[in-house]
Amino acid sequence: MAVSRRNRFAYMLVLPSVILVACLNLVPLVQGVVTSLQAQNMTRPDPNAFVGIQHYIDALFYQVDFWSSLGKTFIWTIGSVAGAYVLSLALASLLNLDIKFRNFFRAVFLIPWVVPDVVTALIWKWLYNDDYGVINFVLRGMHIRGIHWLSDTHLAMLSVIIAQVWKLYPLMTVVLLAALQNVPKELHEAASLDGASAWQRFLYVTLPMIRTASISITLLTGIWTFQNFDLVYLLTGGGPADATEILPTFIYQKAFFTLDLGYASALGILMLLIILACSSLYLLVSRPNSQPA
Amino acid sequence: MTQAAVTAAPDIDIFSAANVRRWLLWLLIYVVLGIAIVVLIFPVFWMVSSSLKPSTEMFARNMTMLPKVLSWQNYIAVWTQTPFPTYFFNSFKVAAISTILALIVSMYAAYAMARIDFPGRGLFGVALLVTQMFPGILFVIPLFLIIKELHLFDTHYALIIAYVAYSLPFSIWMMRGFFAAIPMELEDAAAVDGATPLGTLHRVILPLSGPGIAAVTMYNFIRSWNEFLFALVFLQSTDLFTLPLGLASFQEEYSFRWDLLMAGASSVSLPILVVFMFMNRFIVQGLLGGAVKG
Repeated sequence: MAVSRRNRFAYMLVLPSVILVACLNLVPLVQGVVTSLQAQNMTRPDPNAFVGIQHYIDALFYQVDFWSSLGKTFIWTIGSVAGAYVLSLALASLLNLDIKFRNFFRAVFLIPWVVPDVVTALIWKWLYNDDYGVINFVLRGMHIRGIHWLSDTHLAMLSVIIAQVWKLYPLMTVVLLAALQNVPKELHEAASLDGASAWQRFLYVTLPMIRTASISITLLTGIWTFQNFDLVYLLTGGGPADATEILPTFIYQKAFFTLDLGYASALGILMLLIILACSSLYLLVSRPNSQPA
Repeated sequence: MTQAAVTAAPDIDIFSAANVRRWLLWLLIYVVLGIAIVVLIFPVFWMVSSSLKPSTEMFARNMTMLPKVLSWQNYIAVWTQTPFPTYFFNSFKVAAISTILALIVSMYAAYAMARIDFPGRGLFGVALLVTQMFPGILFVIPLFLIIKELHLFDTHYALIIAYVAYSLPFSIWMMRGFFAAIPMELEDAAAVDGATPLGTLHRVILPLSGPGIAAVTMYNFIRSWNEFLFALVFLQSTDLFTLPLGLASFQEEYSFRWDLLMAGASSVSLPILVVFMFMNRFIVQGLLGGAVKG
């Protein structure tokens, strides 16, 4: 059957986008899978030798560093998203009150969102600086000395999470504020008539009403954080002693320093599968059962 | 209903206990907001403040919040004694070209997605969403191999292609929404007047979606301007570096010159911050599809 003229017109309009999206997503995905099944170690002969699922077996059963890196990636992701969510919900609730200059406040709170990742990393590196950083200067005033924010293995993860929270909270605040503004005032009034305290209204009226927005924005920022490379790479480079070696920096290191492109690709595919699995699980678990939203 | 606290009768005594409590509550709210602003914006303030201090003050024992004397010497040094202007130009070039290309390509696709129910439309829509989940680090390895194969390694073409394809899914989704919101009657009227479908898109739909298109364009520009990983992997020659990459390389080169680094960091952020301050309402409303009330 001939394609109708209208549909042919549509295909002409969509075609360039389809080609570009396919070239940058589908082709690399296929190439990535292929690479992950090849030796592809640039330092050894015959990079195209087929090794089957050897890299996957290595990663899952023989190399401990994959699992330890995965664990750190979860700490990094959950810590950053949870921290940013609590902060954003507090800010959005404040901004949702009948305050003056709301637009001004919202605009100022949004600033970190547009600061480039590289700049974010530089700023925090300077704030955390051991000798001349302003954080340690303030702490010295309180007679707390010698805190090495980025080079102490116990603190480094917390330090990079704080920087990521600073990066994530603006967008979350805007989205949560938009959701809060859509909660009908009548619901709150009805609840206070029934004798609900402010805290109870927050728990039983506000939170269920912003459930959908909360799930979407935490899922989205979670996916972003899970695969974020820039901030950790620039702040600690995965160190000290691998304390912040999350999957993206670990894969980069394997691919472009030890030149193990095959192994690194296998790790990348595993990472994609983990993201897909976790996202589905998250959506499944948080599916609204009775609450409308 | 009349018993509710919110509808208390107008009180003549403004110093009544209830009123004082309410004033204190509002005072507390503004104080908390003020503290939040100071803490959360401090990193940006500190970057700018540090960039304007001469190095003697910057590394002094007694820290000053604001520079005692405004000193532009860090900026002058960064802009005249380092390849910073080249990086700036490269970034602008790559971001501008890829943003414009992405706009043109996505605009037509978005129009088809919004108006024509062609077979495969749903599938393409889902495919666009799925690409947003793909980790950049997974794609950078195969792309690196492909780009080498195509002899595009260490060129701006590689970056431009990557940024266009990167911006497309988001742009198509957003613009599809804007286009779909325009009443069909306007298009029908144009068709009656003899306009071709493309003519309708150019002369009716696009002018009416101006604010939305501007928001999407700004967003894409900012994303390309800030992008780091692809630039890190695809570029090798320093004279091709974009700002994020240049700044990161400064960090290795001048690791103790925080005065210069902060001047560089401010120079990278300032154009974006200025555009953002002017257009923030626009961007926020455009991206949330008008869900935000003023």
